[in-house]
Amino acid sequence: MTTVVEATGLTKKYGKFAAVDDASFRIEENRIYGLLGRNGAGKTTIMSLLTAQVFASSGSIRVFGQSPVENAEVLGNICFIKESQTYPEDFRPRHVFASAPWFFPNWDQDFADRLVADFRVPMNRRIKKLSRGQLSAVGVIVGLASRAPLTFFDEPYLGLDAVARQTFYDRLLEDFAEHPRTVILSTHLIDEVSNLLEHVIVIDDGRIIIDEESEDLRGSATIVAGAKSAVDGFVAGRDVIHREAIGGLVTATVSHLDEAGRSAARAAGLETSPVSLQQLIVRSTNLSESEEGQKS
Amino acid sequence: MTTIATARGAVRPKAQNRVLAVTRLQFVNRWTMFYLPAIILGAILLLNMAIWYIVLASLPTGTDVAHAEKGFQYTGAVFYIFIYMLVVAVQAISRTFPFALGFGVTRRNYYLGTALSFTILAIAFSVLLTVLSIIELATNGWGAGGHMFTPTYLTNASWGLRFVMYLCLFLFFLFVGSAIASVYVRWRAIGITAFFAILALLIVGGIAIITLGHYWTAVGTWLATTGSVGLTAWLLLPAAIAAIAGFFVLRRATPKS
Repeated sequence: MTTVVEATGLTKKYGKFAAVDDASFRIEENRIYGLLGRNGAGKTTIMSLLTAQVFASSGSIRVFGQSPVENAEVLGNICFIKESQTYPEDFRPRHVFASAPWFFPNWDQDFADRLVADFRVPMNRRIKKLSRGQLSAVGVIVGLASRAPLTFFDEPYLGLDAVARQTFYDRLLEDFAEHPRTVILSTHLIDEVSNLLEHVIVIDDGRIIIDEESEDLRGSATIVAGAKSAVDGFVAGRDVIHREAIGGLVTATVSHLDEAGRSAARAAGLETSPVSLQQLIVRSTNLSESEEGQKS
Repeated sequence: MTTIATARGAVRPKAQNRVLAVTRLQFVNRWTMFYLPAIILGAILLLNMAIWYIVLASLPTGTDVAHAEKGFQYTGAVFYIFIYMLVVAVQAISRTFPFALGFGVTRRNYYLGTALSFTILAIAFSVLLTVLSIIELATNGWGAGGHMFTPTYLTNASWGLRFVMYLCLFLFFLFVGSAIASVYVRWRAIGITAFFAILALLIVGGIAIITLGHYWTAVGTWLATTGSVGLTAWLLLPAAIAAIAGFFVLRRATPKS
């Protein structure tokens, strides 16, 4: 596998506040990554660092094997669609789509035209007058049609309705199949994109707390539900991430339960179900917070 | 062990293409860069013509028309278009900088491409003003003896000299604008406040030095000998300083949201 991005000890400080704190990770070529985390966790900062929009306080970044800072060769292969992307306020969408091909050598005009129709973007309306969803659609179209070898989508769906979001996911997967490239998608609509993501990096408080294949992550925990006594008997001695009780009914999230374990649970009259990526990440980020609380 | 290498499908973009792409980006909305300033210029001309005709029409019979027209020589109306170009430069950079960075442009290529677009803009508007000045002379000041494009110190200058002077003025205002915009993009409002505070200090300091050193006579002599053409040419020096300073300020700027 080819590594496209390698960050080592990456730190970005604003005064005393560390937006990104000693993050090390790798991004492999031609896969779809999810960069997940709560608001303000540092997702946008990581993306801005990798695209050299902001400068790191310390640590090293290699993109396509080189530092991306003021590196035309590296940046020419990157498209970064920010959630807070500002467009020249005198522009209309047609100006954005007219200029994008000059910057992206792999730009596909037919694809862009189809996407404009799919998302119903008004080409002649001033950027300022676009709705939040239409503005997001402009970014999504540029990000998809640019076919940049390394494409960043930072919460690209804001204001998009469910239909438009599904269109985005569908087009991304279709086009990805035909034109493989590396995509890094930050989102907190985790369940919506969980089928898309091949690898998940979770950031919390500027630190990377999960960096795993989504397949492994999904199988890494199981929900066991049933009568209180049965559940408690079963989970004794096992690693319980989360426990919830409603009346006599108890739901426990158990990590690393193998097939034998699941059979045992079913034999004990318990219901087992896989944990969704979203639940797992919510639990993990909450956990890291409570650990933090205990430390201080 | 994985290897780091240039990804498949990755291309090596040619540097000059990226610079020219930025230049084209600055001109993609013709309205902001060309039409609106041209319309403003036209509006100023029409307004001035209206004033000249009103003045001429209101002259009591028997007044010397030539005497009244002498007053038309000193219009500074064309100055608006130069100031407007400073605004165009500030707007262009503050609007397109964060946008172009999302398109994977380096700050260096962004600045070079933008500087090229400003130079093209300066040449285009200098041509326009020169053509208008030729028309102005040919029509005896739009039929009213007015001098909007040929102020008194330029009436006898050749059209080539007028072109060069316009060019110097446009370059000055566009690049001072891009320096101000770079300061704004990098340090926002605080930077602008500091910029003008420092500028004011420099001006006051300069005046103090000239006054305390009794250099005013020397300055006066220099101004008189340099003349309007020479002074305009001297504007290229601060224009170049502004252009270079703007480059280094923008090199470390980060787009704010």
